[in-house]
Amino acid sequence: MTQEAAPKLPILQLVGVRKTFNDFVAVEKIDLDVIEGEFLTIVGPSGSGKTTLLRMLAGMDQPSEGNITLHGARINDVPPNKRPTCLVFQSLALFPHKSVGDNIEFPLKVRGVDAKARKARALELMRVVRLPESYYSKNVMKCSGGERQRVALARALAYDPEVLFFDEPLSAIDYKLKKVLEKELKDLHKETGKTFIYITHSLEEAMVMSDRIGVMRAGRLVQVGTPEQIYNHPVDRFVSEFVGEVNVIEVKKGEDGAPWRGVDVPGAFHVRPPEEDAGAEHAFVVIRPEYLRFLGAGDTAQNSLKGTVYNEYSLGSRIQYQVRVGEKVMLVELSRSKALPIAADRSVTVGWDAADAITVRA
Amino acid sequence: MANTSLSHPAPPLSVEAAPAAPTRRDALLSLGARCSLPVIVLLAVGFVAPLIAIFAYSFAKPRTFEVFRSFTLVNYAEIFNVNNTVWLSFLWSLGFAFATCALLAVIAYPIAYGLNRVFGKWSSLVSILFVFPLFVSENVRLYGWVLFFIKNGVLDGTLKTLGFEGGPQVLYQPPMILAGMLYVYLPFMLFPMTLGLAMVPRDLIDAARDLGANRWQIWREVELPLAMPGILIGMLLTFVLGIGAVAEAKILGGQSVIVISHDIEIAFTYSQNWPLGSALAVVVTIFIGALTLAVFSRLDLDRLLGRR
Amino acid sequence: MEQEKARTRLFIWLWTAFVVVLLYLPIFCGALASVSKGRYFAFPVRAFTSEWWEKTVDSIEIGMIVHTSLLVAALVTVLSVVVAFFGALAFARYDWKGRRLFQKIVILPIFFPQPVLGLALLLWFSAAGIQTSWLTAVFAHLVWIVPVVTLVIAIQVYSFDPSLEEAAFDLGATRWQVMREVTLPILWPGIWSGALFAFLLSWGNFPLSLYTAGADSTVPKWLYSKMVAGYTPMVPALGTMSTLGAASALLLGGLVLWLLRRRAVA
Repeated sequence: MTQEAAPKLPILQLVGVRKTFNDFVAVEKIDLDVIEGEFLTIVGPSGSGKTTLLRMLAGMDQPSEGNITLHGARINDVPPNKRPTCLVFQSLALFPHKSVGDNIEFPLKVRGVDAKARKARALELMRVVRLPESYYSKNVMKCSGGERQRVALARALAYDPEVLFFDEPLSAIDYKLKKVLEKELKDLHKETGKTFIYITHSLEEAMVMSDRIGVMRAGRLVQVGTPEQIYNHPVDRFVSEFVGEVNVIEVKKGEDGAPWRGVDVPGAFHVRPPEEDAGAEHAFVVIRPEYLRFLGAGDTAQNSLKGTVYNEYSLGSRIQYQVRVGEKVMLVELSRSKALPIAADRSVTVGWDAADAITVRA
Repeated sequence: MANTSLSHPAPPLSVEAAPAAPTRRDALLSLGARCSLPVIVLLAVGFVAPLIAIFAYSFAKPRTFEVFRSFTLVNYAEIFNVNNTVWLSFLWSLGFAFATCALLAVIAYPIAYGLNRVFGKWSSLVSILFVFPLFVSENVRLYGWVLFFIKNGVLDGTLKTLGFEGGPQVLYQPPMILAGMLYVYLPFMLFPMTLGLAMVPRDLIDAARDLGANRWQIWREVELPLAMPGILIGMLLTFVLGIGAVAEAKILGGQSVIVISHDIEIAFTYSQNWPLGSALAVVVTIFIGALTLAVFSRLDLDRLLGRR
Repeated sequence: MEQEKARTRLFIWLWTAFVVVLLYLPIFCGALASVSKGRYFAFPVRAFTSEWWEKTVDSIEIGMIVHTSLLVAALVTVLSVVVAFFGALAFARYDWKGRRLFQKIVILPIFFPQPVLGLALLLWFSAAGIQTSWLTAVFAHLVWIVPVVTLVIAIQVYSFDPSLEEAAFDLGATRWQVMREVTLPILWPGIWSGALFAFLLSWGNFPLSLYTAGADSTVPKWLYSKMVAGYTPMVPALGTMSTLGAASALLLGGLVLWLLRRRAVA
């Protein structure tokens, strides 16, 4: 037998965690193992309960039911200042009356570390997050958005937590800087080897940084998996649509082995049965715009639909076409080099192969 | 973000937004000044002018009404005369004001905290309970205390009925004056303090706790410094009002203590010495004005009152 | 930790309740004195009577005083709301050069001892040759109440989104239409609170009325003169009535405010 790497143990475990506010269920029965050292991102639209989940993990809210364990010990009622975890807030929650240095030193100060050691550590952390040393005594309110981000990060690291939580800290940052900070965060994760749990509503952000992604909807954790699994094997229509713009066709199984038939578009289709439920009678076929192609004379595909092109958008390196098929609008994306000079309102046939589409249960 | 193929928006309209007229901004600038005019005129006539009048009177010959017709420093000389009891009045007022301010800070803090963090949906009701007495004339409320503490009053009578000796004689003593001031000026400490505490974002408290601070450390490092502007205004307000307080000393203090405002009043009424009263008022005004401006120069009113 | 938190909460509730009881105790004592028989108050009350209330209601002198007080308060309310409304816009809405200075100037009278202000006004009126009467008292009240009302309205103005006005301009409204259709309706709750404050503060004001009302008397002024010399149980009776009047005004005003807020939400 070959020597396998020892499986990493879960550092945090959630068992049947539920949170209700009066009659409102914010988080419904979540079971989740967080592996030590991983970068786990929880994504979901606003109101899906991800912030509530994070606040319970950080100790700011207590679960109504279920258990949260850290290294196997129940921590439901351990207050945040006694947990080896630290949260980077969406608002960043920087102390406006303290300088950059004093903000970073705060967790050390309350722990009684002497001033000299504190300053040394703060300067060290400022190097880690790439803040210039001259910022040490700068007013934190005079820092730019990206700089504040780094201060918040350094402050959390100064606490030396085992697990770091992030509550959409990049939501207010412009796109270009966001990309830079995402990569820095990923690097920092590698350098520190700590467990990162990050929540965001942007799957794009999650894809860039995470080892694993959990998708939340209406208080439930719908799917947990690697970015590849989430992208290529979504468990349901919600997850598949969350990943990006997709074409969804509703299909029903024909009787006695007849092919699947479209519900919202006419025709019969070659469909792979849903992975989750091979015997399903009713399903959604999800086709990403880049897997749809225009069929010219002589081109063939397993499935095809006739429609009219009525719009096109430039997406930079690609071009997206909107094709009306009956009442439905299908999206087709081609790389710019393959773009066809198609006149508006031209009739086209779009096609795809069953292997390029994902089928999810209805 | 999660877009479906089912509902694509109509193609965007390509209408250019008309550029905003540049004159509008200029108009707004002067509009602010124009809006301030009625208040400015009122305060110029009703606040600044009387202060100037007092200032002018303070240089008139004692016991005359010869304003602008005589110039003398006798009134000030009399105030600063060591043998004059005015100094004592001023010290009493200062002492009362200082004690009022310090004690009220301690008394009001838990309530202000409660209004922000504990009372929840009850906090508006609790606020109203604290606002309402402001609308009852202070002498009515102070007189209620007289009825409570007076011989055969509520306290005395109750104790006697229960078979005790009878209530302590606290009326007409300096501590009673202080109690009266605490009573009257409580709202002036409470509400600025509540505003101040409301300025501390919940996130910062959570963050401090998350970073390992205990309750005392959170209070000292985060809550107190951030709530300070409000607390400072409350302290300034109660201190300044305490300096000028007179009804408490007259109603609850009998004649046991003469405070500075009482001295001013006496000069204006019984002794008909307006120039001396004016000089006293000028001294008090300068003292209060300097203190107020010193504190205000450190405060950002926009932030305190909740400008976004 | 949880237990400690619960204990803190309990302490805060109890402490607040204690202070509230102290706050209302003297008002209650006054009410008690006004309904007890006998010229001088004694506790426990041996016999109750409505004699003093009836006498107070029947008194022509008190009727006139109440009339004066109401007149002063009403006038102060109307004038101060108009002036303070614009003051609040200057205070909180517009960015203009002198704003910071203006803010400090507005606050200053609030921080000024009222007895001294009253005497200063008295002196100023006499220097200017103005006979003091209830009209000068209205003016004196305005000096102190306009800044308070300005602050009250300003708090509402701060939460007002200026882009709403800009949007209305952009949609073709005139300045007057913007004021009527957008600014005023949104600021109504603040204006109403300001009016309530103005009325009640003027109604209960003593130190300014004492020196600036001349021969005219307001309720607090009359009460004070009787407290110092010539106590009768009509003093607590009128005091209690005045308190009850203020309470009903507050209740009524609060109700209107609540309706305004509800309408704003709906």
